[in-house]
Amino acid sequence: MAGDRDTFESVDWTETRSRLSTLSRRDWGALLTGLALVAAFVYDYVVLPASRPTITVPVEWNVTQLDWLFVSTLLALLLYVVVPLYGNRRLTAYYWREFRKNRMAVASLVYLVVVFCIGVVGPLVLEQPALALDRAYQPPVYLSVDSTVPVNCLGGVVDGRCQGTMAHPLGTTGDGKDILVLVVYGMQVSMKVGLISTLLVVTIGTTVGTVAAYGGGLVDELLMRYVDIQLVFPAFFLYLLLTYLFGGSLFMFILIFGLTGWGSIARLVRSEALQRAEEEYITAARSAGAGTLYVIRRHLVPNVSNSVITAATLLIPGFILFEASLSFLSLGDPTVPSWGQVIATGRSDLSTAWWISTFPGVFLFTTILAFNFMGDALRDALDPRQET
Amino acid sequence: MTDPLLSIRDLRTVFHTDEGLVRAVDGVSFDVDRGETVCLVGESGSGKTVTGESITRLVRTPPGEIAGGQIVFDGVDLTTLPDGELRDLRGDRIAHVFQNPQGALNPVYTVGWQIVEAIQLHEDVDRETARHRAIDLLDRVGIPEATRRFDDYPHEFSGGMKQRVSLAMALATNPDLLIADEPTTALDVTIQNQILSLLGEIQAEFDMSVLLITHDLGVVAEVADRVVVMYAGKVMERGGVFDVFERPSHPYTRALLDCLPGRGTGARSIGGTLPSPIDPPDGCRFHPRCGDAVDACSEGEQPPYCPADDDDDHVVSCVHYEPGGDPSVVRGDGATVDGGRRDDSEGDRA
Repeated sequence: MAGDRDTFESVDWTETRSRLSTLSRRDWGALLTGLALVAAFVYDYVVLPASRPTITVPVEWNVTQLDWLFVSTLLALLLYVVVPLYGNRRLTAYYWREFRKNRMAVASLVYLVVVFCIGVVGPLVLEQPALALDRAYQPPVYLSVDSTVPVNCLGGVVDGRCQGTMAHPLGTTGDGKDILVLVVYGMQVSMKVGLISTLLVVTIGTTVGTVAAYGGGLVDELLMRYVDIQLVFPAFFLYLLLTYLFGGSLFMFILIFGLTGWGSIARLVRSEALQRAEEEYITAARSAGAGTLYVIRRHLVPNVSNSVITAATLLIPGFILFEASLSFLSLGDPTVPSWGQVIATGRSDLSTAWWISTFPGVFLFTTILAFNFMGDALRDALDPRQET
Repeated sequence: MTDPLLSIRDLRTVFHTDEGLVRAVDGVSFDVDRGETVCLVGESGSGKTVTGESITRLVRTPPGEIAGGQIVFDGVDLTTLPDGELRDLRGDRIAHVFQNPQGALNPVYTVGWQIVEAIQLHEDVDRETARHRAIDLLDRVGIPEATRRFDDYPHEFSGGMKQRVSLAMALATNPDLLIADEPTTALDVTIQNQILSLLGEIQAEFDMSVLLITHDLGVVAEVADRVVVMYAGKVMERGGVFDVFERPSHPYTRALLDCLPGRGTGARSIGGTLPSPIDPPDGCRFHPRCGDAVDACSEGEQPPYCPADDDDDHVVSCVHYEPGGDPSVVRGDGATVDGGRRDDSEGDRA
């Protein structure tokens, strides 16, 4: 029996009758959109000079490599999270009822949606803050600071204290950058880091996990031993090395940790898929004439998706926090104003200008907390078995 | 007589496990003719399900492996058929219905989607046509308000309803052979009856052959044309349902029938347990538990199939039926069923 396995080449594909494609219509849609994106990227990369903005209407936007990745991620989220939720309103309503039971999670969701929207749109509208030493150390609005701290007080000095102004609601840093704008830019950085890396991790992890579980035998053995090796591989040192050689870049951070961080997800998915693969509907699908890839894509993956989504929600804050800590240690991308970087710049001024580190810190803290709350609630709603 | 639709010869299916080679099916032969119902009976672990799953190679490899034998379906040997062609056959000409209706439907899809899937896997029809056919099928298997329930999820159906849906999925492509693996075991008695009579109606209507795998002799008596009795991976006896029920010939068949309440002496259980499939006993697999066992039973291989009576089709694998043996040892003195026990037949031939 082992000898007569069909290889891809040996099957006469014209002979097999029209059967259900392994890819659903949504997969085809995603594939076409992806190809269109790649085409646009190639056009931007090859044809347009690097300095020319990719689009000028409605806003001038020179799309970077990272932006392209982010746009793909958002499209993937739209096609595989939003569209199915909309298409399946009855189930969505059920999940929402379960999710709503956790008030903190609902508040977190609202907060995250706001952060997400501001983070996506904000940097397109707002100028990136530039060095402006004449407006350094301005205190936040409604607050004041000893007038000796800022070189030049914009809000006027009352009783020897410099007042904050609405021009800089959260104050400015030691080199005169507006903290509110930095925070908005940081939102986008965090969303990019969290969402893109997690999408990479989840996609690769789910593919490897389900294929290993369903393939069994040698396939399983090879894939899982590779996962073992990858889990002990020090991606951090690779990142350090590349930072040392080429300088830090957010794009590299996301790629390295996204492409090496999927081991634990693959293990999780595999253990779940092993259980699912023994279910009778898998045998039933095979007995109905479904092929291996079809069974994996259409029957196995949807059945492990709940635990994947739950795990993914809890992965996002991990990535954000990790990026922040690397930036804090100046190992991040010096060109993007991430929260960790702003916290680091305010470190030496904590005694006089406390607001520089505090505001990005508060946003970092609440964002991570919100993702964790949401992850917990999602787990309760989607995966009731793990409820404690 | 035309060739049978399905002809299994000396099928051997083994599983490679850490404990050793498990011979789940060890030389099984039987035929299924067009339009007839063949029942595969035997206790749990006797290899019935593995036989059923071996036919379309649903047995997972590894650890399973079809180690030998022939499965000829409509003139084609399935054991040598490439995977791709076998897949075309699965669900199209040979369909399966499984034991546990709770598990046989994928919880993340609507039942309608799953029937449409079964249709579209084999036929190039558009969604609308497939949808109409799926609704017709749901209606045919007795789902009330089929149109409305098309978009419901499996958890919104009861066990009996789910089994009807599974049946609809199996019928989606009008198969020639339906392999039903204990389709009624997980259901209560009234639903069981409904499903069985539905199966009967559909069989007549679609002109299908049915291979029914069951351990329920009541079901066998109700629906079978022919019976194959399996024990520990071997066929003990096979024949027409009347022959087997009227003149049960193998001691195992007789013991099985004795287990039914309300037959003569009342319900009796078979002592002992199934032998280890890794290291089966020599000779007849049943001899350690057999009341009629003699020394010859524990030597060599499973005895060859010998005619049990005038009917060529009714054969039995028991030393007492071999030329020179004395069937009356097993049968007592005639057609009455008293299941000779160890106490009254021990010394007979030893």
